Amino acid sequence: MVNYKIIKYRKLWLLISVGMVVLSVISLSIWGLKAGLDFTGGSLLEVKFAGGVPSVMEIQNSVKEANINSLIVQPTGNNSIILRFQETSQDKHIAVTEALKKLEVAKSGMTEIRFEAIGTSVGAELRSKSFWVMFLVLMVIILYISIAFSKVSKPVASWKYALIAVVALFHDIIITAGIFAILGHYFGVEVNTPFVVALLTVLGYSVHDTIVVFDRTRENLPKSHDSFEETVSHSLNQTFVRSVNTVITVLLSLSAVLVFGGSSIRDFVLALMIGIFCGAYSSLFVASPLLVYAEKWQRRK
Amino acid sequence: MQKQSKSLFSSKKARLRFTLFLILIFAVVSFLGSAGNYYNRLSSTLARATHNVVILPTAKEIPFVLGLDLQGGTQLTYEADVKNIPESDRTTSLEGVRDVIERRVNSTGVSEPVIQVNRSISGDYRVIVELAGIKNVNDAIKLIGETPLLEFKETTVEPIKVSTTGTSTNVNAEANLTWENTELTGKNLKNATLKFNPNDGTPEVALKFDEEGSKMFENITERNVNKQVAIVLDGYTISAPTVSQKIAGGEAVISGKFTVTEAKLLVQRLNTGALPVPIILIGQQTVEASLGQQSIDNSFKAGIVGFFLVALFMILYYRFPGLISVVCLGIYVLAVLAIFKIMPWWMTWVFLLSLFALFISVFKELKIFDGILSVVMFLIVFIFLGYYAHTSVTLTLAGITGFILSIGMAVDANILIFERMKEELRSGKPLDIAIDEGFKRAWPSIRDGNTTTILACFVLMSFGTGLVKGFGATLFLGVSISMLSSIVITSSLMKIFVGKFLARHPWWLGVKKINN
Repeated sequence: MVNYKIIKYRKLWLLISVGMVVLSVISLSIWGLKAGLDFTGGSLLEVKFAGGVPSVMEIQNSVKEANINSLIVQPTGNNSIILRFQETSQDKHIAVTEALKKLEVAKSGMTEIRFEAIGTSVGAELRSKSFWVMFLVLMVIILYISIAFSKVSKPVASWKYALIAVVALFHDIIITAGIFAILGHYFGVEVNTPFVVALLTVLGYSVHDTIVVFDRTRENLPKSHDSFEETVSHSLNQTFVRSVNTVITVLLSLSAVLVFGGSSIRDFVLALMIGIFCGAYSSLFVASPLLVYAEKWQRRK
Repeated sequence: MQKQSKSLFSSKKARLRFTLFLILIFAVVSFLGSAGNYYNRLSSTLARATHNVVILPTAKEIPFVLGLDLQGGTQLTYEADVKNIPESDRTTSLEGVRDVIERRVNSTGVSEPVIQVNRSISGDYRVIVELAGIKNVNDAIKLIGETPLLEFKETTVEPIKVSTTGTSTNVNAEANLTWENTELTGKNLKNATLKFNPNDGTPEVALKFDEEGSKMFENITERNVNKQVAIVLDGYTISAPTVSQKIAGGEAVISGKFTVTEAKLLVQRLNTGALPVPIILIGQQTVEASLGQQSIDNSFKAGIVGFFLVALFMILYYRFPGLISVVCLGIYVLAVLAIFKIMPWWMTWVFLLSLFALFISVFKELKIFDGILSVVMFLIVFIFLGYYAHTSVTLTLAGITGFILSIGMAVDANILIFERMKEELRSGKPLDIAIDEGFKRAWPSIRDGNTTTILACFVLMSFGTGLVKGFGATLFLGVSISMLSSIVITSSLMKIFVGKFLARHPWWLGVKKINN
């Protein structure tokens, strides 16, 4: 069995985590998350040209006649171009495609492969809905852990296990969001409904992982003659290999999607991978150290 | 009770053979359900190779239900403007909108439109129209937003066709009856009112035409005495009464077989000259079929690669138990794919019953029913599994990703069990006890850990939007089936294959020494 001194160096791990969380909060407050189409409302049009890709300038000039606002043109790499603009009406949609058809390269064929239009009211609604869903999941999880750990009360009360699991969970979500704020600022990565779904999945995983480690402590406590700190350390080492192996298999399956899954799902998978990695890290290096602190603070009183 | 079970399973071996049999049934049903086309190809190759000596029965090939992002199509979101409609009538009016859109879309020949009426958190009414495999979205949008078309049609008798072929002459004695538009349309309608037939009290719709329309109607009825005149709305014939006499005065009565609500709705629609509630297009999502196909190909590739990476890791790290877990993972993948589809009812029942029987037999043996929490959880999981086994799950890109993610998560239970087992072996316990202990002790962690993910899935499933719902459903199915299969199938297979060989070669189990 492995014997890592994770608990002994708990100050170091917590410092790293606090540093990461602070950095994330700073980048979130400076840059914020770049809201995608789902949340802001607007249109996205992807067209594919049979006879080569026109330049961004050509496209901008050609759709001028459609009179649309805040146009962004992005080449995708596989002979298609993504256009984003503010208007969502069907008339504008037709006007833009008609304008594009007049381009020289469109003569040999142009297909519209994707069109999304989301009205501003829908965007606002999705935003508030996402918030409520996150809130609901959190409540359900806190309730469940409190019930599942209700039998453990010595020396640390069961609600403290739940609280620590939630602290670890916020740690994971804040860092994931922070990384996406940085990615959004430097690479234009956007946040949309799939991102919220990814965060919710991370919530589930993070708590799952923390519970497995806590479960071992719960099991060892009644029969242990060592101090609380040693029991936690022992339990952590017993579950260490499992935690690492599980996160490896999950990241392996996700990396396959990241590489082969295509561009439309890449950001979603990236959010999942970052969040799940954080979830595994926090259950080993944040949750259990905090448990030891909780017991120490309690004794000091 | 004790005696009875003893007589049923006279020896431990018989019991193991019985569970192995159940696993086989479960695996075969999963395979037939998920990959019927591959099975059929296999059986036809076999028949050819053996010169039709071995002929296996063919399996039903069930297709996956693909979401719009995978098969191509468009989703239109409309907001209904219910300002002018009293609170109590809103639901009925929106049902009316739904029906009208459905009829209009059907008339274009698009296969089975899915039309939903939703109420958003802020209380707005939304109509979501999903059109699969549609080529011209613009036409569809125009058609849906159109005002209703009321037409009056009369019959014309085409001249009898006489075709002469060679010496014999075939005379088609039956006249060809065709419906032709008359000059009268909904434009000439002044108003429509609900009436009740004075004789039998059935609801009717009374039409009043304007001056021009009255004259037209008089003409039409005059030339069609003793013939049928059809009243057609949006291309559908509402009623086709036979005219008994010329009608002057510009009033007509439609007496179809209406219920009061239907008649009311028809009146409302005819009077407003449009949909019962005005609708505004606020969102649109269109994916071209080729892009969908590419997403399917990509996901398929990613799924295969993901599976092999996980399998490779498990075998390299856990050796023999790893191999068992890969077999279990393979059955798991087939089972989840099978449950995504609508299986024939007998397959559904064999699937559910074999899983249930396996689970009862293994859990009873390991004695790990620990309290109400496990029982409640299993009941809930089985109820939902039963539900999803009967219906199909619409696969979306996000849903498939959820499924591939669950492949990685599915082995978690196995990892927990194997780590526990190794620990017990290291502490000096003999092999068969170590296996039992590994399963028994790992269970609370598996249960608590998966419950949180399942709870998160339930919230996702109630979110309402297609993408989120699909992801929640697939992840739920993945997690719950993996929880059952990893414990039940892995433990049975481990016991069946663990023999003297493994006890003598601890390397295969990843430990140095095994006490006997």
